[in-house]
Amino acid sequence: MRRLWLLSVCLLVPRDERVEWVEEWEGELAASGWRWVDAFGALPDAWHLRRDGWTMGRMTQDVRHAIKGLWRKPFFTALAGLTLAIGIGANTAIYSVVDSVLLDPLPYPESDRLYTVNHTAPGLGVPILPYSEGMYLMYADALASLDGLAVFQMDNVNLVLGSEPERLSSARVTQRFFDVLGVPPTLGRTFVAGEDREGAEPLAVLGYGLWRQTFGGDPSVVGRTVEMDGVMRRVIGVMPEGFQFPQDAEMWTQLEVDPADADQGSFSYMGIGRLTAGATPEALNQEMDQLLLRFADVNGDDLPRTVLEQGQIRGDAKPLKEMYVEDIRQALWVVLGTVGFVLLIACANVANLFLVRAEARQREQAVRTAMGATRGDMIRHYLTESVTLGLGAGVIGLGLASLGVRGLLAMAPVALPRAAEVGIDGSVLAYTAVISILSGLLFGLFPVFGYANRDLSGALKEGGRSSTTGRGRSRVQSGLVVAQVALALMLLVGSGLMARSFAAIRSVDPGFEEEGRLTFRISLPSAEYPEVEDASAFYRAFRDRLEAEPGVTRAALASSMPLTGSRAQSSFRPDDQPLPEGELGPLVNLHWAGPGYFEAMGIEIVEGRGLGEDDAAGGLRSVVVSERMARQLWPGEGSVLGRRIVGMGDTDESWEIVGVVRDVHFESLSEEPGLMAYFPLVSGDSDAAFAQRALSVVVHGRGDPLALVDGARQALREVDGRLPMVDPRPLARVVSEASAATSFTVVLLGIAASIALLLGAVGIYGVISYVVGRRTQEIGVRMALGAPAGLVLRNVIGQGMALAGTGVVVGLVGAWGASRVLASLLYGVSATDPTTYAVTAGALAFVALVASWLPARRAAGLDPVRALKAE
Amino acid sequence: MCTGPPLAAWSGDGMGDPRMTQVTALVLRAVAAGHAFGFDVMERCGLPSGTVYPALRRLERAGWLAAAWEDADTAHAEGRPRRRTYALTERGRRGMPEAEAKIAEVERVLRDAPGPDAREA
Repeated sequence: MRRLWLLSVCLLVPRDERVEWVEEWEGELAASGWRWVDAFGALPDAWHLRRDGWTMGRMTQDVRHAIKGLWRKPFFTALAGLTLAIGIGANTAIYSVVDSVLLDPLPYPESDRLYTVNHTAPGLGVPILPYSEGMYLMYADALASLDGLAVFQMDNVNLVLGSEPERLSSARVTQRFFDVLGVPPTLGRTFVAGEDREGAEPLAVLGYGLWRQTFGGDPSVVGRTVEMDGVMRRVIGVMPEGFQFPQDAEMWTQLEVDPADADQGSFSYMGIGRLTAGATPEALNQEMDQLLLRFADVNGDDLPRTVLEQGQIRGDAKPLKEMYVEDIRQALWVVLGTVGFVLLIACANVANLFLVRAEARQREQAVRTAMGATRGDMIRHYLTESVTLGLGAGVIGLGLASLGVRGLLAMAPVALPRAAEVGIDGSVLAYTAVISILSGLLFGLFPVFGYANRDLSGALKEGGRSSTTGRGRSRVQSGLVVAQVALALMLLVGSGLMARSFAAIRSVDPGFEEEGRLTFRISLPSAEYPEVEDASAFYRAFRDRLEAEPGVTRAALASSMPLTGSRAQSSFRPDDQPLPEGELGPLVNLHWAGPGYFEAMGIEIVEGRGLGEDDAAGGLRSVVVSERMARQLWPGEGSVLGRRIVGMGDTDESWEIVGVVRDVHFESLSEEPGLMAYFPLVSGDSDAAFAQRALSVVVHGRGDPLALVDGARQALREVDGRLPMVDPRPLARVVSEASAATSFTVVLLGIAASIALLLGAVGIYGVISYVVGRRTQEIGVRMALGAPAGLVLRNVIGQGMALAGTGVVVGLVGAWGASRVLASLLYGVSATDPTTYAVTAGALAFVALVASWLPARRAAGLDPVRALKAE
Repeated sequence: MCTGPPLAAWSGDGMGDPRMTQVTALVLRAVAAGHAFGFDVMERCGLPSGTVYPALRRLERAGWLAAAWEDADTAHAEGRPRRRTYALTERGRRGMPEAEAKIAEVERVLRDAPGPDAREA
């Protein structure tokens, strides 16, 4: 090993000094008792000697030679260059996404100190437990590890400027929100102390895009008052271009908290904070754990200490970046790994091309050697050529990548985070340069080891045709083909598994009918619909008007649609089964639905009835539950109609079950449906009734659901012309977007696997063609001696299939070993699913068969006489 | 640890006098003090082999040092290949004052440095 190190390094040393150089280093190292730290010094020493003998002038000359050599073989250069460019381009494209989405810091000053500061409650099955108002007030100034804490909540507002109302995505934020992120406004100011308290003047900060598009970029908008959700708000500032947090918020309003009357028990505000310099997230979590105990002691009704312990509720600070990329991270790394494989396959192909070319050039090399070129010169010549080609391919790959990135973003799932930041920047360029040079070195090394190390005087005598060297080279080539087939099979298995997952997700029955249904959102501003009766009257009028629209069969209102990411949960139990002190009932997804909802959604009512007009009237307290909930709360019992459930805390308020419906995949298609309870849109006693104001509408009609949009918009305009219709889309699209991340990965892996398969096939074809070419004479002799064409055909195909078979076996083992990486992305199929493995291996074997059959047919069709004459 | 300037500091200037850096000066002084083998020089200077060897080569090329091989019998008796020995030439001896001046300059800078942080830098 030690000697090998010195012998490898000595290749850098000019040839005439090598022997003495090695002796000196060996002598010194042996005398001082061989230490690696000393031995590494040989490298800078050798490099120093090398530089003495290798000037820039020579390097330029080498590059010029390489370019000339490549230019003289345009077909070879184009084929090798394009193969590489595809591999490099794919890697650059995916890397530019990975770089912007996963690696680049967030666009805030010292963004590594920004954390999401929430709680987690694994014991309740709740990954993120945000803040209640009271909790925020207790935390706000008590956390020594934080330079500032802010909480926020996503919101939507209707902005009325002209005749057509506009619906905006906005966020309600506490006063220090912008300080914490460290971004000052580009115009005006942001919120100051006291402006997030109850009773403060309603204010708004605008996003740059909103300011440019809706307000024409007019600076005098600061100070103006605009109407939002029926409230007059004064604009105080505009944020700079590119600032977008949280999510797609275009405007920020104050989140008013009243310290005298803060809600302690609704945990609905997400927190972000900036760590003080030197503080750690662990220390922050510990501080939060202490505060939680204090909170539980003070507010035992809202968060009993026993619940704190049972739910294992604790502080959970995470880097802010995690929040952006959690869902997509693994898929992106898998795809980057995949295109890395594609590049390796491309390199193997080009290495094969270079090997063939190197053999053809043996005579040229022999002449050079005879004229005094050293082995080092030859190595340098080969490597300069391959690295030059690699860099050229890198430039083309960069062009392909910039096109590819655009395509990638166009088909990316709706929620690809930080998509606006994706582009080709300095670090992407550096990445491309590095992989181009590395690929150049990788495929350039094969001919170097194959040829430059040998005495070539024999080649000169034989005119460049030596059967013994051909055999060694064949072995290298065969090894490359086996590697290619193995890598290609691994990719095929991966994309096959993803495709099956996608099919499995798409075949999940969501529990409702998706066809023929349109959905959109509206929101009733509380300023315009102050009383529950006002909202209630709107529900009735709008639904009646919608159902009067031609083509509409049913219409209904609800708090949200399934699979759209909205989530409200609470704990419920049967009213006659009290739980031990401090213990919680199962968590139930809450949904609010108007009359006709189950019919309009096509959710089957298994027992009893759906929610009707009367259920919204005061005091009735009707609820519809899912089958799963009925089974879990009353296991093994028959009908649950007439039974009552109670929520956490309010033991005297129970709800009567009037119906049981089929389970619906509310959260995601890939998770088991949770327990569901459907409450009327207007609920509670007449003196404390509560109405849902953020609504989703579902319209069931005949024919194309998009054809219903105009009618629905007209209906809305007639009932309330000031309400915008938001995001109208077919329900089927909601369902398909729920599997968008999977379909994105499927498409990318599919493309990568197809390229791999194509390159693998080209590799097999190339090697078998080459072997046939080499054996022309031998095949001629055999045929002259009476070997039938069929035997020759079988013989050649057998040779190709032996390579492919070895590759398939290696690939199957490799795929099995790598299956763990993919496992978490899969749904409904095991990472070691035998069917997928068998089918992809079979498909690859078939392609290999075709790729060997083509040259085999040529061999079998040889005319023995001409074959024998061939030199 | 005392580390020298990056390797790029020895730019190739043929047979002219070598650029006098702290490392060159220390290596020269070690050889002048009778440390003949590369690794001895290394130990004496407290510099890594990857720093000392290029300096030795540079000084040898510039004609300040002359190299020879140690006695083959000695090496054989110890069961290892021969080591090279380095000795000061007349030209090198003439360069010694420059080297000592360099070392003195560096020592002065270190002594006058404002604090321990700057000394480490």
